[in-house]
Amino acid sequence: MSDSKPSAVVRPAPLSPHLQVWRWHVTMAASIATRATGIALYGGFLIIAIGALCLAAGSDAYADFTGIMGTFLGRLVLFGVTVSIFYHMAAGVRHLVWDFGKGFEPKTANLSAIVCFAFGLVAAIVVWIIALMTGAA
Amino acid sequence: MVQLTLPKNSKVVRGKHHPAPEGAKTVKTFKIYRYDPEGEAQPRWDTYDVDVAACGPMVLDVLLHIKNTMDPTLALRRSCREGVCGSCAMNIGGRNTLACTHGHEDYGNSVTVAPLPSQPVLKDLIPDLNLFFAQYASIEPWLQTDTPEPQREWEQDPKDRVKLDGLYECILCACCTTSCPSYWWNGDKYLGPATLLQAYRWLADSRDEAKGSRLDALEDPFKLYRCHTIMNCAQVCPKGLNPAKAIAQIKAMLVERVV
Repeated sequence: MSDSKPSAVVRPAPLSPHLQVWRWHVTMAASIATRATGIALYGGFLIIAIGALCLAAGSDAYADFTGIMGTFLGRLVLFGVTVSIFYHMAAGVRHLVWDFGKGFEPKTANLSAIVCFAFGLVAAIVVWIIALMTGAA
Repeated sequence: MVQLTLPKNSKVVRGKHHPAPEGAKTVKTFKIYRYDPEGEAQPRWDTYDVDVAACGPMVLDVLLHIKNTMDPTLALRRSCREGVCGSCAMNIGGRNTLACTHGHEDYGNSVTVAPLPSQPVLKDLIPDLNLFFAQYASIEPWLQTDTPEPQREWEQDPKDRVKLDGLYECILCACCTTSCPSYWWNGDKYLGPATLLQAYRWLADSRDEAKGSRLDALEDPFKLYRCHTIMNCAQVCPKGLNPAKAIAQIKAMLVERVV
């Protein structure tokens, strides 16, 4: 400690790589997707609120709104919001089951993550097929 | 705080290549994280073309073969070589595990070997686990009782003893804790899977009488509730334990005592 000669100065230790080396798997993707769809739903709710405001502002404003949302990009965003709603709902149920202490075995957790992804996508597609068939979209 | 990229001093640069010895039969490439605390050099990835026919079956055998025959400067921790001590925990092929219990045949022709993720690196594959063990100590991992000590041992019914299965087997290798993204971002405040599994091990012990104070200590937005059930811990535990489930059981105990 009280060495008169300055010994090798120890520099701050580097941080070992984490995301840079990690091999992803489905439960990790499901977790971040839950967070991401939750954030996306803030945006989705904003779109719905803007639609409601346009509706209140009159038929011209609402026509503008439906015009923008009816473009390919607008529909893509709405489809994304639909997937987010269903995925987030499924993930919520998955968390509810966990809160009862069930479904923690890695195999079960993998399966429930896949089910959530599949439900989000399939339910959104079904809703859009119905919407397109009934002329709602 | 979430920091997706590594700090400047931690960026890993391309390192040296060590070719296979002449006459090598079965060659496999190991990309190994290297860091020398002396000097100024950045951490680097060194690649070693190893003649795996000339060494034992486990990744640890390969690492020791490298150290013995190719590059004596490689630093790593190891001791029991049979999955009991937890010393050789590291990130192999993108997942934390014990080098001594995983065969190199489980991986492809190119295997990445890095220290346990998101920890300060002392040298090469050796992380600084002082925080990890301090967190473990913070949950007071020993039997706490108020009743006078019995003349003989503290007795436990076999049906209560069974409740400790899946908990007591933890070897504190830190594979789970350092696999957890929540711990990567909030490791200074979140206790992490291994410590919480051990916290539950004492909460679940029928002989322990400090349940209330143990739960009080854990009721904290960061210490316990940073678990978002990402499940990396249960995926990587080399002993097949399930910290995520133990954490859920602690949360359930905290709910039970208020309802």
